[in-house]
Amino acid sequence: MEQQFSLTSEIQDNCLVIATSGYVNNVGGEAIAEEFNRHFENGIKQVVVNLAGSKVVNSIGMSFLIEIIEKLNEVDGKLVFTNLDPTVEKMLTIMGIFKFAGKEATVENGVKSFARQT
Amino acid sequence: MTTWPFQENLIDRLSTQIEVLQDGFCRLPKTATLKDLVSQFAVVVRDLFPATNLDLFHMPERSERWEKIVESGTVGIAERLVLPQGKTASVCTLHESSNSICIAQRLVDKSYVGIVLSQKQAENRYSDVDALALRLFVYLLENAYQELLYRRNEKEMIFSLNHRVLQLNSLIDTGIEVARLDQSTSPQQLALERAASLTNAAGGLVRVTHGEQLVEEIHFPGGAPLENKSNSPSQIATKFSFAGNTYTFELYDKESRLGVQPFEETDQLLLDALARQVHASLENRYLLKQALEKQKIEQDIAVAATIQQKILPGTLPRIGGYDIAGTNIPSITVGGDYYDCIPLSDGRFVLIVADVAGKGVSAGLLVSSLHAYLNAYLERPISLVDLAQRLNRVINRASTDEKFITAFIALLTPETGQVESLNAGHNPAYWLRRDNTVEELSTGGIAFAMLEMDFQYQVQHVTMEPGDRLLLYTDGITEATNTENVQYDRHAPLAMFFASHKPDKAETFINDLIADIREFTGNAPQSDDITALYLLRH
Repeated sequence: MEQQFSLTSEIQDNCLVIATSGYVNNVGGEAIAEEFNRHFENGIKQVVVNLAGSKVVNSIGMSFLIEIIEKLNEVDGKLVFTNLDPTVEKMLTIMGIFKFAGKEATVENGVKSFARQT
Repeated sequence: MTTWPFQENLIDRLSTQIEVLQDGFCRLPKTATLKDLVSQFAVVVRDLFPATNLDLFHMPERSERWEKIVESGTVGIAERLVLPQGKTASVCTLHESSNSICIAQRLVDKSYVGIVLSQKQAENRYSDVDALALRLFVYLLENAYQELLYRRNEKEMIFSLNHRVLQLNSLIDTGIEVARLDQSTSPQQLALERAASLTNAAGGLVRVTHGEQLVEEIHFPGGAPLENKSNSPSQIATKFSFAGNTYTFELYDKESRLGVQPFEETDQLLLDALARQVHASLENRYLLKQALEKQKIEQDIAVAATIQQKILPGTLPRIGGYDIAGTNIPSITVGGDYYDCIPLSDGRFVLIVADVAGKGVSAGLLVSSLHAYLNAYLERPISLVDLAQRLNRVINRASTDEKFITAFIALLTPETGQVESLNAGHNPAYWLRRDNTVEELSTGGIAFAMLEMDFQYQVQHVTMEPGDRLLLYTDGITEATNTENVQYDRHAPLAMFFASHKPDKAETFINDLIADIREFTGNAPQSDDITALYLLRH
């Protein structure tokens, strides 16, 4: 069963990696956005969101993720999702998220994808 | 066309500010929020009026307070703004004094934006052209805000449509997933997760109760215990009953970016639909379990039937001067009838036909016991009475209260034709003499395990002469019923058939008897096991 939300973050190769655990809802989405904004203000433009620990996402949580994607797109930055549960991946696909954000199998691949772009 | 001096001044002013105007057209439509929009507007206005103080405000609804967005630091500046009156005619108020311009503009969403320009140098003055130029830029702001709202609405609509597609898609997927019978996650847990996600519920639970007793409670999200939400104004629930259990699904606190809001009608429909899918899944699992159990039972029965077929004689022993044949046709896979012809070490033979009360596996087990005990006791010399008493005792111990065995046992001395018989509550055997008289052999006692007591059995002695015949059978023959519910023995007594059919071979008699019964019963289902043993002395 999906647990209460928590997250961890780290910087890898000038890329913010946020790993979530639990239900990405209003609380979870807000926590991700706060963590992102904290680093965005310091110039971070490349973000990996590792959803390995999150099997359930609701549309409120998703709206926070969309906001992050929009902010990044405005500054030519990018967000990449990794370690997606098939259900969550399908959800993000239907919502059209991958038109504006990337997806990779692992965090390592996600971080490398930015290196390829640059 | 006549051009007034005032107009010429305005055109001149705008011509000099054409770059500012173009910049405004570029900047304002790109903004995503009102705050951004007003901030960008402030940049444009500052370009237009460089040496001026600028204050910008927003009022979400009439009668609320002005909220500062851009401020110059001048105290009490908002009080100079006067809201336009009326609904459509006046959307803007413009107040000019010697060194300030105040504009309150009603926006498309009925909120208001307030702009106050004030000269930094008190001696400077604003002209009418300045006021008109600002007015034009405020229109630009209003249009940009309208566009911003359109974009936002369009985005929300696309998001909402995508979310509906997601809900429908997820409903189908969840239906398939909860219907899968091999998954480790319970269908109610999966449905709860999906229901919470699709309705934007902050949490929920599934409670399974049996009467007043709580069987299971699943919370979502897991981890920390859910606070009591039973009085939450934002909640929906649905329930169904299955196999004596009541499954209640509850969702709490529909989330939005503005806080908790009431659930919508579609949320209830979704929850109901997901609960119905769980109900169907539980029914399918139950039916599958039953089918597997039935399959297992059928496999066990098939094994029991195989064992029983091995108990019954494949071929009967040859008895010099006699011909013997027998048959057993069970009505269901495992029957309760038994027959055998067992040669003894002293040259005599034991003939037996037995019938366990009831059919099926339990009857088959008792037949197995009878077979085992009988063969064990016959390993050593034993009288028929002693044999019957021992069988009575052991069968009594091995069987349940309602189970008993009737049996006819005959001990044949082939050389002399002497037959010692014992009838333990069974149908009488028929002894057909050469003179065509039929005698019933009934002496014996009660069926084995009929009573929990020792019983003093009795035996009967007859002598089979050449040409004499003996028929042992079970009531499956005499009580074989046709489609009109008439029993075989009532229609034409077995004894008559026995007396009138005297083939040279025992097997022929058995075949003729079965054929006669089949002809009589026609399409009626066989209601009981059919067993017969026929002995002919040449």
